[in-house]
Amino acid sequence: MTTAPTTSTGPTTSRTPYPHSAGLSVLRHRRLSLLLHRRAAVVVTVLLLLLAGVMLLAACVGQTYVPPGEVWRVLRGHGGPYDLVVGELRVPRIVLGALVGAALGLSGALVQTVTRNPLASPDVIGVGHGAAAATVLALAAGTVASPGALPAVAVTGGLAAAALVSVLAWRHGMQPSRFVLTGVGIGVALSAVVQLYLTDSELAAAEQVKLWLTGSLNGRGWEQAGPLARVLLLSLPALVWASRALRPLGLDADTAAALGVRVQRTQLGLTVLGVVLAAVATGAAGPIGFVALTGPQLARRLTRTPHLPLAASALTGALIVVGADLVARTLVPPLEIPVGALTSLVGGPYLLWLLGRSGRR
Amino acid sequence: MGVALLLAVTAAALSLAVGTRPVPLSAVLDALVHGGSSPDALVVRSLRVPRTAIGLTAGAALGLSGAALQAVTRNPLADPGILGLSQGAAAGVVFAIALGWANGFDGYVWYAFTGAVLAACVVYAIASRGRGGASPVKLALAGTALSAMTAGATTVVLTSSSATLDQFRFWQVGALSGRDAATVGRMLPFLAAGALLVLACARGLDALALGDDTARALGHRVTLVRGCAALGATVLTAAAVAATGPIAFVGLAVPHLARRLVNGGHRWTLPLSALLGAALLLVADVAGRVVRAPAEVPAGVMTALVGVPVLVVLLRRKGMAS
Repeated sequence: MTTAPTTSTGPTTSRTPYPHSAGLSVLRHRRLSLLLHRRAAVVVTVLLLLLAGVMLLAACVGQTYVPPGEVWRVLRGHGGPYDLVVGELRVPRIVLGALVGAALGLSGALVQTVTRNPLASPDVIGVGHGAAAATVLALAAGTVASPGALPAVAVTGGLAAAALVSVLAWRHGMQPSRFVLTGVGIGVALSAVVQLYLTDSELAAAEQVKLWLTGSLNGRGWEQAGPLARVLLLSLPALVWASRALRPLGLDADTAAALGVRVQRTQLGLTVLGVVLAAVATGAAGPIGFVALTGPQLARRLTRTPHLPLAASALTGALIVVGADLVARTLVPPLEIPVGALTSLVGGPYLLWLLGRSGRR
Repeated sequence: MGVALLLAVTAAALSLAVGTRPVPLSAVLDALVHGGSSPDALVVRSLRVPRTAIGLTAGAALGLSGAALQAVTRNPLADPGILGLSQGAAAGVVFAIALGWANGFDGYVWYAFTGAVLAACVVYAIASRGRGGASPVKLALAGTALSAMTAGATTVVLTSSSATLDQFRFWQVGALSGRDAATVGRMLPFLAAGALLVLACARGLDALALGDDTARALGHRVTLVRGCAALGATVLTAAAVAATGPIAFVGLAVPHLARRLVNGGHRWTLPLSALLGAALLLVADVAGRVVRAPAEVPAGVMTALVGVPVLVVLLRRKGMAS
């Protein structure tokens, strides 16, 4: 699993299996903090290389195999026989997958830090459910003339639901457990709306909605990737700010406050950022489960930081989505499994494996 | 407790009387006692009685198992969904439809039941591995993980087979209509056994709330109590889900309500949860018949829409979420 070279120079404690001993060994030796950063940098570099490799592989493999040399030709704009299949079908889809994964990974890291719950994903605070319910309502009311307007509806719905959850849960500040509980409740109500639509509608419409609800990159590309890329770029300054705030917030609220963090304000800021990222990603590809949940946890285990690392979370998220989509469209050739179904299929066992490893959780 | 009983009885009466064909209460009573073959009597006896019976038993089972699960996992969020039971049942139904083994709600029952029980076994087996045994957090985590996995698997089937989706969507929404009277009969032994198991653990669950170590010090066998209550809750949920499809929220919200109403430990909250669950599900079902008449809104949708505001209000009260 760890492809990163071992950077340990210190005592043999770093040879123990990583999940829970990693954070501890850092806390014990304060001088190791420099080493920690170096490890994170190495991990990020390796993840970047891996991501580039998987993206290239994804461009080569599919119904028709395209040699890497030809992919490179298309990428440089030289055209050729593979212009359509690589340039217009695969590349946009792969780029979109990477962006969606990065946004979800970032969002997961932010939301998990704020709720102090490694099981919290943006879905827990209503984003996915809100997007789904809004889409379904718009379809039922017939107000959406073109399918192109659906992402906008989904983003609006996701934001509205998350705002509703936050407003309802906010009472003398944000208490993580109340936040999560409210989110789950609102999620149940919103998914009931979706269920109702599924039984009310014609079978064909139900099928389409079901496909969207699972999260799929099929038939999507630049049209969805463009807005997502712009949002990610615009949020960069906020992300830099967030990366500084995450570390103290990972501690408990009192300690963070003692360290000079304005806890409530920071929590609110991080939540808004996380929700926007998740909503835009969901609008682009539907709610792809488990990426926001597992990406940050995986990243933290790789970098062995005590808090959730943002850059590594974004990269693991991107890697998961691009890799899962690659598998989803090549596993059973004529059939395209929605990428969201695959991430859940793989994410579930991953969580179980984690449970099996860490005896005391 | 008396109030809750009254609520449940009123809900049952409403369920017998209200619908596209309103039947006056006197006629309902007449049909129940004397039978007869007037249209009113036929509607009451052949349609509304089974429906009400399913609502009563499934609602009570969900409320009871929710209360037990929340105590066992020491997690206020625990409901049948969180231990993977609902998804397990759903997976059972989906595969049964896809493989052509089952047709119609009556055929789904055993597959749903098997799926839910299997899911519970897997979750428990995984959570009890490693140090510390099946701790609350590990149970919840394992349930969530298994849920996600089975949801992924069912989605793969549903997106590749539209015929399966066509049948499944009507099961998944969770409703009391169109279910067979025999279904209740078949589930009754399981419901009774589950209820007995859970109620027998009431005192042990009180001790569990104080923490494993304290419970042990008080002379309770922690593993036994937790295992018994979990088994009872599993059987209850599996039977309820098999009969009605997954109905969210009753198991989650009702125990919170029950705990707010009485402060008497699990010997009171468990039966109260059962009564409130039955009342809530029936009221939701009745409301679903009225709001969009002549079309119906399934009970599963109504419980969610009605129950969520209640939960939010409860959460905003002080000390509720902590």
